[in-house]
Amino acid sequence: MTDDRYPTSTTIWIWLMLLLGLGLACAWLPFGRTTAVFAIFTVAVVKAALVLRHYMHLRSEGLLVYAIAAIPVLLVIGMTLSLVPDIVFNR
Amino acid sequence: MAVATAAGRDEARIPSGKLAMWWFLASEIMTFGGLLAAFVLCRLAAGGWEEQAAHVSTRIAAFNTALLVTSSLTMVRAHEAVDAVDRRRVTLNLLATVLLGAAFLGVKAYEYSGELAHGFTPWAGPFWSFYYGLTGLHALHVFGGVVANAALCAASARNRLWPHLHHRVEYVGLYWHFVDVVWIFLFPLVYLS
Repeated sequence: MTDDRYPTSTTIWIWLMLLLGLGLACAWLPFGRTTAVFAIFTVAVVKAALVLRHYMHLRSEGLLVYAIAAIPVLLVIGMTLSLVPDIVFNR
Repeated sequence: MAVATAAGRDEARIPSGKLAMWWFLASEIMTFGGLLAAFVLCRLAAGGWEEQAAHVSTRIAAFNTALLVTSSLTMVRAHEAVDAVDRRRVTLNLLATVLLGAAFLGVKAYEYSGELAHGFTPWAGPFWSFYYGLTGLHALHVFGGVVANAALCAASARNRLWPHLHHRVEYVGLYWHFVDVVWIFLFPLVYLS
C-alpha cells in the first residue's frame, strides 16, 4: 500500500544516487580541504537521513524507536568529542 | 471506553521482533561508531594518512555504493510486495537484493586483491589496518544480510512466508538498510576525505 503523503521508494533511490554524484563532485572539485570535507559529510548525513526516514520507516515510528536509535548515536558523538582534546591536541 | 483505550494501546505497541531488531541495531551503532570514532581520532592525531589513502579506488567504491543503495531499493520493494501479498514480486525483489549484495562482496574482493597485490596489506600502516578492519567488518555484515535474504527468498519461493513469517522481511530489511547507512558514512570517510 502506498501513502501519497510520502515520496515513493524509487524517488528516494533517485535522490540517493544524485547525492552520491554530488558527494563525488565535492571530492573532485577544487574546493578547499575543509570545505570539501564539510560538504562531503553533509551529503552523507542527508543520505543517511533519507534511508532512515523513508526506507527504515522512522517517519512513522514512535518515540521509543527514535530513542533506541538516537541514544547510541549521541553516546558515540559525545565520547568522540570528549577524546578530541586528549588525542588530537595533546600529541 | 476501556475497550477503546486497550485497543489503542495494542495499535501503538511495537511488535517484539521489530523492537529486538532496533535494540540489535543500537548495539551495532556502538560497534561501528566506536571504530569510526577511533579512525577519525587517530587520523586527526597522526596526520599524513592522505598519501596512503590516495591508493584506494574511489571509482570502484562509488560503484559499490550504487550497488548497495540499489539493493536497499529492492529490499523496500520486497517489503511493499509483502504488504500487497504478492509472492512473486517478493521473491524477485529478494533475489535481486541477494544478487546485488553478492555483487558488492565480489567487487570488494576484487578491490582487496588489487590492493594486496600492490603490497597494501593490513600491516602496511595504520590507515590500512583501519581500512581492512572497517571495510572487512562491514563486508561480514553484508554477507550476513545476503544469507538472511537468501533464506527469506527461498521461503517465499516455496510459499512458506505466509501467514507467520512475513514480518521477517521487514526485520531483515531494517538490518539491510542499517548496513547501507554504515556504508554511507564509511565511503566518504575512507575513500573521499
